[in-house]
Formats: sequence, C-alpha cells, structure tokens
Amino acid sequence: MPERIRHAPLDREKVKPANAEIHLFKDECKGCDYCIEFCPKKVLEESDEINARGVHPPKIVDESKCVICSFCTAVCPDFAIFVVDKSNKGGK
Amino acid sequence: MAESKESGPKQDPIRIGVYVCHCGLNIAGSVDCAEVAKFAATLPHVVLAQDNRYTCSDQSQAGIKKDIKEHRLNRVVVASCSPRLHEPTFRKACEEAGLNKYLFEMANIREHCSWVHLYDREAATAKAKDLVKMAVAKAALLEPAEEVEVPIARKTLVIGGGVAGIQAALDLADTGYKVYLVEKEPSIGGMMARIDKTFPTMDCSICILAPKMSDAGHHPNIELFTNSEVVEVRGYIGNFHAKVLKKPRYVIKDCTACGECVKVCPVIAPNEFDVGLAIRHAIYTPFAQAVPSTYIIDMNLCLNKEGVIVCDKCIKACERQAIKFEMKPETEEPEVGTIIVATGADVFDPSGLPNYGYGRFPNVITSLEFERLINAGGPSGGHLIRPSDMQIPKRVAFIQCVGSRSDRNSRLYCSNVCCMNTIKDSLLIKEHWPDTEIYVFYIDIRAYGKGFEDLYQRARKEGVIFIRGLPAEIVENKKNHNVWLIGENTLQKKLYKIDVDMTILSIGLEARKDSEIIQRLLTLSRNQDGFFLEAHPKLRPVDAATGGVFFAGCAESPKDIKDSVTQASAAAARAGILMAKGKVTVEAITPIAYAEKCKACGLCVKVCPYNAITLNKDLKRVEIIEAACGGCGTCAAECNFGALTQKHFTDEQIIAQIDAVTEHDAEKKIVAFCCNWCSYAGADFAGVSRMQYPPNVRIIRTMCSGRVAPKFVERAFARGAATVLVTGCHLGDCHYINANYQTQKRVEALWKKMEQNGLNKERLQLLWASAAEGERFASKIREMKPIIENVKPEEIDKAKKVFEKALGGS
Repeated sequence: MPERIRHAPLDREKVKPANAEIHLFKDECKGCDYCIEFCPKKVLEESDEINARGVHPPKIVDESKCVICSFCTAVCPDFAIFVVDKSNKGGK
Repeated sequence: MAESKESGPKQDPIRIGVYVCHCGLNIAGSVDCAEVAKFAATLPHVVLAQDNRYTCSDQSQAGIKKDIKEHRLNRVVVASCSPRLHEPTFRKACEEAGLNKYLFEMANIREHCSWVHLYDREAATAKAKDLVKMAVAKAALLEPAEEVEVPIARKTLVIGGGVAGIQAALDLADTGYKVYLVEKEPSIGGMMARIDKTFPTMDCSICILAPKMSDAGHHPNIELFTNSEVVEVRGYIGNFHAKVLKKPRYVIKDCTACGECVKVCPVIAPNEFDVGLAIRHAIYTPFAQAVPSTYIIDMNLCLNKEGVIVCDKCIKACERQAIKFEMKPETEEPEVGTIIVATGADVFDPSGLPNYGYGRFPNVITSLEFERLINAGGPSGGHLIRPSDMQIPKRVAFIQCVGSRSDRNSRLYCSNVCCMNTIKDSLLIKEHWPDTEIYVFYIDIRAYGKGFEDLYQRARKEGVIFIRGLPAEIVENKKNHNVWLIGENTLQKKLYKIDVDMTILSIGLEARKDSEIIQRLLTLSRNQDGFFLEAHPKLRPVDAATGGVFFAGCAESPKDIKDSVTQASAAAARAGILMAKGKVTVEAITPIAYAEKCKACGLCVKVCPYNAITLNKDLKRVEIIEAACGGCGTCAAECNFGALTQKHFTDEQIIAQIDAVTEHDAEKKIVAFCCNWCSYAGADFAGVSRMQYPPNVRIIRTMCSGRVAPKFVERAFARGAATVLVTGCHLGDCHYINANYQTQKRVEALWKKMEQNGLNKERLQLLWASAAEGERFASKIREMKPIIENVKPEEIDKAKKVFEKALGGS
C-alpha cells in the first residue's frame, strides 16, 4: 500500500510496551562486546568504567527500548547478563 | 494464395487501383477528393482512380473486390483514415477478392491531413495528393507475403489482485484456462477490501468481496502469487515468457491463522492496510479476511536479520511450526498467451496542499482513512472517532475534488468515484449518529450512474448540507483541535466560515506510481494523466496496443467497483477469444537477408533487440530466426551493404516514398518518419483531436524508428528536402525493447556529419512522442516552420552536394 501514513495509530494504547529490567554482572564481563553487537534494539553500549577483569563492561542506554528477546543472555559467554520482565514480577 | 503469386510483379504489369474516401465531410470538408482522385489517375501504374463517400462501407468494399477482378488490379491503394483503424478492413476485402493482403497500401488523408488542416483547403488538397503519390509509389513495389501462424499458450497472467484482477481471473479460470494471478501485497483484495460499504446499494464491501477472494484462492485453475512482482516479460502475443519474483513470507502454508504468534511478537508498526490508523506486529495478516490467510513476517521490522535468529518467540508460539526464517525469494517463470493488466490506482496524497493542513491538523483526514474508521474491522471497531481526542464528532465536513479537476496539482481529470463515495459516507454517518451535522463542499455533484441520483436525493432528505464552493483554507483551533473551513459559497456569493469537529478530504484517484514498470515490461502507452492507453477509446476499450494485453479496472482510468468488474469480464472475454482460437498470425514484416551481399560484419547481430540474428562464421553470412524476430527493422537500417531489408518496409519502398515527397517543392517540406506504435499514433491523436499544424509535413510510417536508416535521411536531403524529422517512442518505452536507442545513435551521427560539412543541423530534428502526445507532435511541426522558412536555397544545394552519394544505389 503506497499511501503515506500521516496519523498515529489510534489503538496504540492497547499495546503495552515490554517492561524490561536488565541485570548486568559487570565484574563477570570479559569485554567481548557480543551483547552490544547483537542486540537488535541497540540497548547497550560500551561504558567508560573498568571492571575487575580490566575491561569495559556494557552499560544500559535505554532500558525502555528492550523487547526482552534475551539474545544477550544467549550469546554471553560468561553468563554476565540477563533480562526479566517486570510485568511478570509481582507473582502474576 | 496461388492467385497472388501468379500476379507477382515480375510476370504481370503492375495495375494499381486508387480509392479516395470522402469519409462524409471528415475528409471532403477540407480536401477536394475528386481532384485528388483525378490526380491519382495520372500516376504511373494507376489504371483506376475514383472517389467514394465512404470507402469502408460494404458497398464500396464490394466495389473494390469487383474492380480487382474486372480490372485485374494487382495493387490497391485506399486514401482515407489511419491504417491503424481500417487497414485490417481493406486487407480483408483484398484477400476476399484473391489479392494478397500485403499488396494493399493506405494513405492517411484524414488524421494526418484533413483533420489537422481544417481551414486550408488548397494546402490540404495538395498534401493529400502527395500522400496518395507516396502510397502509390510504395504500392508499385509491394510484394505478396505469407504470414506465419503461431500457437497461443492457453494461459493468462493477471497482474494485480484487486476486484478487477480477481474477476478477470475467475472468469477465465471458469472458462477453463489456467490463470496466474500476481499480487504485490500479502493478500489479494485491493482497494475494495479496505472500503466499508459500496454505493449505491450500501452493500458491505468486504462481505461481497471475501467470497470472490476465497474462490480465487481455491480455484483449481488459478495459481496465486501474493507478495510477488512481475519483473520481466519477454515474447509476443500468444507466447509471453514472464518472470515473477515471489518474495518470501517466512511462514509456510501450514499456518492456520490462529494468531498466537502475533500475541508474542515484541515489535510493532502502523498497519499499512489501515492507512496507519491501527498497529500491527512484525508477524501479521493485513486483515481478517486476507487470502491467502497465511501470516507474513515483515523483515524490515523483525529482529531476526541476516539469518541470525535473535528472537524466537513466534517460532515457540507456533504449534504448527509454520515459521521458516530460512525462506528465500523464488522466481516463477510462467509461459502465457495473454496478459491482463489490473494494477489499479493510487490515491492522491493531500499533504502537498498546505491550505488544507493535512498531516498537520489531526482532525483533517482522507476519505480512505474515513473508510477504515467507519469500518467494523478497522481500528475503532466502526466507531467514527476523531483522531485528536477519540471523541465522536458532532459536526463533520467533506471536501470534494481534492486532487481532482484542478490544475494546481496537475490533475485535471474527474476521479469518477469521490462524489458518490462522499454521499455514501454521509449517509453512513447519518445512519449511526443521526444528529451529526454534515456539510459537503463541492464543485459539481456528479451522480451519473444507475441509482446514484436516488442516493443523492436521500442524502439531501436526511439533512446533509451541500455547499457549492470548495474551502480556500482550513484553519485549526489550537485549543480543541476543531477546524474552521473558510471559503465562498458560489451559489449565494457569500463568504462562509464554518466550524466543524472533523474534516474529510475526498481524495481522488491517480495512476499508480509504479505504472512505469509495467509500462516498460509490456511496452504500453499512458495518457497525459498517467493511466494506461487503450487501443481505441470507443471500439477497443479494454485492449492495449500491444497484442495479447488487456486492461481491467482503475489501471486504465478511475472507475467504481461495478465498472471495474464489467471491464474485467470484458478483458477476460477478449483474452478468451484469442485463446479459444488457439493460434494467431504474425505479420510478415521480418527481415530478408541477401546472402550474396553479406560481409559477415555482425553489426546487425549487435543491434537486434531480440537476439534473432546469428552470425554463421563458416558460411560468412547471418541467419535470421523468424520466430524470435519482433519486426522492428533496426537490423536493416544498420546494414551498410544492403544485405538486409525488412519485408513490407523495404529500402526500395521507403526510398520510393521519399522520392515521391521530394519530387516537387522539396525545399518547403518536412520529410517525417514516424514509428507505428508511438509517434504515428500520436500524429493520429493530433488528428482526432483536430490540433491544427502547418501542412508541410509528409509522414512515412515505419514499424520502429530504428528502421530509419541514415541513408533515408541523407537521400531526403540529397533530393532537396528542407528538413527531416525522425520520431519514435520515448527512450525506454520502445515497442521493440530498445531499438530506438539505435535511432538516437544514428541521428546523432548524422548531426555530427552535418556539422562537419557546415550544414545547419537544426534541419534534422529528432522527437520522442508517445501515442497520447498529439500536442507534442503538432507543436514540433509548428516549431519547425520557421526553420524551413530560414533555410536558404544555397543551403539546400549544399546539402544536396554533401549527401550526393545517397542518390546512387537504387
């Protein structure tokens, strides 16, 4: 459909944004940057700090952009990152 | 056709019969036909010349047949209308009298003479004489030819799966032909699927379309390619080879459309089907009734790129395991006999009209967005709400002719459907919310169809207020996002400023932005509005000029559903007629090679657009594959040794025409070469539209401008012609793939030669004009008048000398 879209979707309220909480074990990180490289939403970025292993661990740029695909967890060789869905938290 | 062979030119003396047609007053009004006939009688080989009121009438045709027998005519020339109109009629008459149809020639003294020189009887008569002389000169050299019959593949390619495409496909499939239905979008249904109700009966649009969509999806004779595009078409009538690119859906047919995948998909985007008023996910189906119902993944949106599965939520959710990220684009290559173009139309984008504020004011929407809003399957569940605050509007205005009938956005045509669509929409609002105040601002209300006026009267009775005079401007109230419409009521001559909650712009239809692709693939023409041009506006309204191609729906012009369906059935019937016959004759206009002259240089092999010529290195000559030849004649124009010529358009015949034009007063004339498909048709169009231009042009018809050999142009100059005009289809639109690039190359070489020899290169003009560009042709002729007037006799003599060589050899 070639029409230009000029109005925001009316039912956008219906879709709840993913409610992600990203956990990093910074000192476990060996600075391979896989999580930064593979994140489809570009949520992570290399930080300036230096961790116990002497590398720059990632930092979170914008947690709200995370869609909880958990690919970062899957690719991390050191089990240093995982994501939880906050909307599942309170025992729902 | 044993008889015609006996009467071949070598045995018998040539006996030509000339018939000059009055065409009522169409020709006789500006041309002295009796005088032309008298002149024709004096021409060499002419044994009979007469003028008739209507040469195409049964009586006159019977007369021609009688004369062929009684006067032993072995060539017939009719001077009347365009050969594009009546050549088949007279060829048939000749055949019936036992004369090979290739021994017939036509002089176009209506479209190219009487109609374009309405007020200059003397000049028109002189021109008509010249045209007859040219035709007679060519006729004397005509040769009988036999046509090749080729079988027609009993299959059809339908491009576009809107209601027109669906109807055409179903009609043909029910007749028993195999149909390939190609749709660009993920689902068939087109524009009709997006509309809520249809006028004038207020039927639910998708309710009447969905069964047809489903029929098309399940028909054993229909193969459906959705999310697919036609990327290549080669071949000719009866034998088209198409290439269809099937883009991957990433979901296989096992999908049950349960929708579990959508629930888990984390990415969202506006749904194009709802004009962005609703959201969809990366895995989606555009609408509930979609055919095929298989879901599709939008790879621009999906997180999984380049084969890396980052997110597997849909895969996990799909019980049938129907999601396959490894799917790749595929190409299908159907071989079909006929093609139906049902590509539909786009809607006008009103963002370009700043005075209406569309895109800036949330409560100014288009009629297409309105259809989605009022539709129960749409984002608001059928509740008319305004986008700014989701409230039901109390006062609504419709503005007509947004993107139609206006030269401000260069869309001068009426879009045909918007008046009735608005009336229907206003009644829909009244049905659900009777207290809504509705204003309709219009230029004219065009309720021309069956039941349309009733609906209009009903809307008026229901209290819809019609105001003549479109608003000049829309201004938004920043506080509550209401809008003021400011303009003049042209019936009352009063200014108005009306405050409404929401405004709907009734947008027009326009030619699809991607029409150009189909145009090039199938070598079609488009009119000035961008819609595809039919072969004849009255009598062949669904045929394209390209054989075996037909139109259905809005691709040809804006039309409503009923007209689209009618045209689709007509197109299916026209395609069916061809396929029922099972074979088609191909015009005998392929090249002839004279092996003894061939130097095996291979130039013709290079220029052939169809790769129909091969070089036989052992025998040192070229060989022609007739079945592959398209008949443009560019090979004959390229050959420097006279070893190739085109049947029915031989060098001798064209030179005879040039010589006939330049015999007298050459220094005042334009020798014009026009290609059959675009510029000759364009010149015809100028005639039909009665565009007046100077009478000094003499048109020689070739199939393609690529046939125009440099020696033809040189010969015209050598014989003292003031100017030469070479015309053809626009570059890229050539009916013979790319043969007109050769034309350009040759004309440029000629220009260079003229410059080097100190000649004014303006005397050779090149024009690209489509079949719809009559005015372009006419204004070129007008433009060339001062050039002719400024050519000095010494320049003519100089050109004669420079091109002297061209006079020899024939």
